[in-house]
Amino acid sequence: MILWIMVLLYVLTGACFITYLFWRRRPVVLIARGLFLASIAIHILLTLSLTGPAYRIPLASPVQAANMMVLLASLVFIFFAFRKQTAVLGAFFLPVAGVVLGMIAPRLQAGEGALPAMFHAWYPLHTVSVVAGEALFAVAFVVSVVYLFHEDIIRKGHLHWSAASLPPLKLLDRILSACLGAGFVAITAGMLFGALWASSLGVDLSQIAMKISAGAAMWLVFAFSLHQRFAIRWSGRRTALITIAGFLLMIILFVGVNLAYPGAHGAGLTR
Amino acid sequence: MNRLGCISINHRSAPVEVREKIVLSPQDFRGLCADGEEVYALTTCNRSEAYWTGLDEQALMQHLASLSGVSGEDIRGYCEIFRGEEAIRHLFMVASGLDSLIIGENQILGQVKDAYRQALAAGTTSTFLNKALHWTFRTAKRVRTETSIGRYPVSVASQAVELACHIFGDISASPVLVIGAGDMAGIAARRLKDRGAGDLCIINRTFSAACDLAEELGGKPRSFSTLREELLRCAIVITSTGSPAPIITRAMMDGVMKQRRNEPMIIIDIAVPRDVEPEAGKCYNCYLYDIDALESIVDKHVSFRQEETDKALAIVSAEVERFARWAGSLDAQATIRDLFSLMDEYIASEMGANSLEPRHAAIVEQKLRSSLKRYLHRVASYLKEHPTLTNIEQTRRIFQLDEDYQDRHKG
Repeated sequence: MILWIMVLLYVLTGACFITYLFWRRRPVVLIARGLFLASIAIHILLTLSLTGPAYRIPLASPVQAANMMVLLASLVFIFFAFRKQTAVLGAFFLPVAGVVLGMIAPRLQAGEGALPAMFHAWYPLHTVSVVAGEALFAVAFVVSVVYLFHEDIIRKGHLHWSAASLPPLKLLDRILSACLGAGFVAITAGMLFGALWASSLGVDLSQIAMKISAGAAMWLVFAFSLHQRFAIRWSGRRTALITIAGFLLMIILFVGVNLAYPGAHGAGLTR
Repeated sequence: MNRLGCISINHRSAPVEVREKIVLSPQDFRGLCADGEEVYALTTCNRSEAYWTGLDEQALMQHLASLSGVSGEDIRGYCEIFRGEEAIRHLFMVASGLDSLIIGENQILGQVKDAYRQALAAGTTSTFLNKALHWTFRTAKRVRTETSIGRYPVSVASQAVELACHIFGDISASPVLVIGAGDMAGIAARRLKDRGAGDLCIINRTFSAACDLAEELGGKPRSFSTLREELLRCAIVITSTGSPAPIITRAMMDGVMKQRRNEPMIIIDIAVPRDVEPEAGKCYNCYLYDIDALESIVDKHVSFRQEETDKALAIVSAEVERFARWAGSLDAQATIRDLFSLMDEYIASEMGANSLEPRHAAIVEQKLRSSLKRYLHRVASYLKEHPTLTNIEQTRRIFQLDEDYQDRHKG
């Protein structure tokens, strides 16, 4: 029940931010912020309830990972929501967050996929780093979409209703850069922790080859994006396009690998 | 309401040679406002208007003629005269930008407010015009917020500034390069300055002209030979020279953007023939707009504003109706009637709240009515003896007659 209340709150918050995008009135954004805070509060409580009696970080399955990713991304967006220039970014994130939570809600439960190896110290380091990195890439993806949308309006020159509330391109580019940088550091650390964890358990790498390949592919895309950005200043549109491509690849690989090779990720670790 | 009148000499009714002679100030009318009369004077580049209550129209016309040096006969031909509801409608429309040369322009509201501040300082307005002007500000705000009439820029310069703000946000931190020192470049540069641009650099083939414009805007003049150097530094470029060939080429921009490490740049080319090769706009992170592109956008915005005008006029009409209702209540007899009607309502509400036996209820009601009547009689007598607008307005405010009146009518 509480799960569905949370999903409903996310959807309502999204609706409020969409309204604010078209109709910039202070009460609208105040209501949206209030609802967003309530959504996150319930989301945190719900995620804490998933830790189970052993108080383990609930990141033991793809569903729990998706839940945590939405929560962490929401924590970044609540920061934007309380800034005048970036408040409307919620209009682009929250409806998607609501849909994702709606899809995973029926399968979200405590103690899911609890594995003995989880007691190992590498577990929180690996999972939290990777999911935090993915959450930051999700934020970068949303910001990239907004960047391309706003840039298209600016190129055409007709600054219609929705453009008035969008953050300036330069600010969007700065946010994009920060999220990509921080996300890349987190995900690289997460992958290293994962490798050390697997190595400490003596896992046969062939068993988790698919996961490693998928992670490496995604890592290369974002590494390329950051390299181009810092080496030859591919700021703006090109970075936004690569970020969108990288994030979509990440989602495809996340869903694809987990569907095609269920358990491939954890199988080696439970050995 | 009929006490209100307006004489307007505006862009429709008078040529600029006449308009420039008539500059009204509240000080000019102080002598006319000795005995409760009120005058509000408004002068902008497109209009000079006087709103009054309690004055003779002919006398005011003569006064205007003597102030402007235009003969009384002639000035009448240049005037639009509005009375009663039409006068308040005109004031609402002026403040909302609906009567402006460029529909929906938003500077006019500030000018109306400034003129009101001057009138207050000069003491030429009182109860009626004060209320009318506050109502005007509210109406103009409603028009601004409930319609999109002033949302989109309708001049090339404003559009250019808007585009720059959408790219850079705060333009105070973005260096601006103005190439050319002609009228168009000057207008755009002034608009950028108004919006907070701090670092302005002016380049012109004739260095002295660049110095003049730079001095006016508080910018820095540079010689034409430093063009490439300034392009490397500046994020916003406005160019309007009389050069027959482009002065900024694609090849030049390729090099500039490479050296700028693709830092975004907006170039507004308002010159004819164009100063910038169209191909230059294809450089990465370079946003190029020429005069045709800007004008076609501005045309769209103008037609959009016209579409919004109907919505704005509906708001103005609704507010005129409400104001007329308030003005109609500014009558001693009507106020006394409203006072006694309020008394009846209080008695009915008190009696309804107590479950007394019928014979006791009749006695209590009679006592209550006679006490309240005695009390209200003093107010009514005073209002009859001194039926000034101030007294009536204060009575209505103290007893909250307007709110109650409106609620009763809604019910």
